[in-house]
Amino acid sequence: MPGPLPRAKSNVWWNRGWPYRVFLLRELSAVAVAVYIVLLLVLVSQVREGRGAFNDHLDLLESPLFWIIHAVILGFAQLHTSTWFRAVPKSMRVKLGGRVVPPEAMIFGMYALWVGASLVVLAAFLVEW
Amino acid sequence: MTTETMTDQRTVTLEVFRYHPDTDSEPSFQSYEVPYREEWVVLDALNWLKDEVDGTLSYRWSCRMGVCGSCGTMVNGYPRLTCNAFLREFLPGPIRVEPLRGFPVERDMVTVLDDFMEKLTDVKPYIIREEEQSLDEGEYRQSPSQLADYKQFSMCINCTLCYAACPVYEHEDDFLGPAVLALAQRYNLDSRDQGNEQRQQLIWADEGIWDCTFVGECSEVCPKDVDPAAAIQQAKVDATNNFFISFLPFTPPGMGR
Ligand code: SF4
Ligand code: FES
Repeated sequence: MPGPLPRAKSNVWWNRGWPYRVFLLRELSAVAVAVYIVLLLVLVSQVREGRGAFNDHLDLLESPLFWIIHAVILGFAQLHTSTWFRAVPKSMRVKLGGRVVPPEAMIFGMYALWVGASLVVLAAFLVEW
Repeated sequence: MTTETMTDQRTVTLEVFRYHPDTDSEPSFQSYEVPYREEWVVLDALNWLKDEVDGTLSYRWSCRMGVCGSCGTMVNGYPRLTCNAFLREFLPGPIRVEPLRGFPVERDMVTVLDDFMEKLTDVKPYIIREEEQSLDEGEYRQSPSQLADYKQFSMCINCTLCYAACPVYEHEDDFLGPAVLALAQRYNLDSRDQGNEQRQQLIWADEGIWDCTFVGECSEVCPKDVDPAAAIQQAKVDATNNFFISFLPFTPPGMGR
């Protein structure tokens, strides 16, 4: 008599649908962010090597390969940001006057801050230009 | 009847998971044609099959109104209550009906719930008092704001759909899982409860909240909007705060738990 079927475990659970694939990409996005930090640190360290080395490094960064790398990182950074914005109201419950602040309001607030901060950076950039 | 759901379809195919523990060495799928009715849910189709075609078909159900939590089943690969999964959502079919993922299968759609039940009992999902208030002191009163702290997590009907959506539960045998953690949090957040410390050891362990990688699908499939993912993430924040506070020589106001 075979008895109950034991529970099944699948190694391709992440391919069961978009929510699971997005979860995996969200986790991977942390790697992309880490890679960007390394690129940034290398850039900063080139400053110490003198103007020539720094300019060579900038030329390297303008190569098509690095454009692609940066575009991929930018995509992952957007995913990282938007998925974590969605996660924040789940990990903290904010109460105002005894009422729970709706998640949508919290998410909207974070997007507003993001857009605001981006505008400040853009303004600083344009002024420099 | 809305126009999108109007159809001439007279029958729909159900592909039903079959497994009999006494005779089958492995499961199989059996296809049945069932009458299509606009107002029928998958459970109605299963009941029709059991009454009219094959009395050996086994599945759980009771209330038919999304309250008892017993009819959880995979419908086309997604965890659903069969009593609120309308046939019309899956037209033109076929509709694949399987037992909830992540559990051993007793027979057909009947899963073995022992593991879930044991874990649920372990977190003591009831109000614990260090000392009972005497009757003449009256009831334990609670403000609307105190009720709001845990109400959402108290709506759970133990349907285990969230377990079927959770890849961590599928792979980690010891993981307590979404509903059990949400219910532990439900009592921890209840102002009348004093059982926090008794539950802590279990829920703050690896097999408790820390095994959760926050896939978040538990909350998406939950038919009662319990949001177990939120309960778990909030418990993680509590546990982290508690860890750091334990280094302080004093307890900051409002953080004494
Ligand atoms: S948390 Fe939701 S999905 Fe999970 S058992 Fe409770 S009601 Fe069902
Ligand atoms: S039969 Fe009770 S929840 Fe579906």
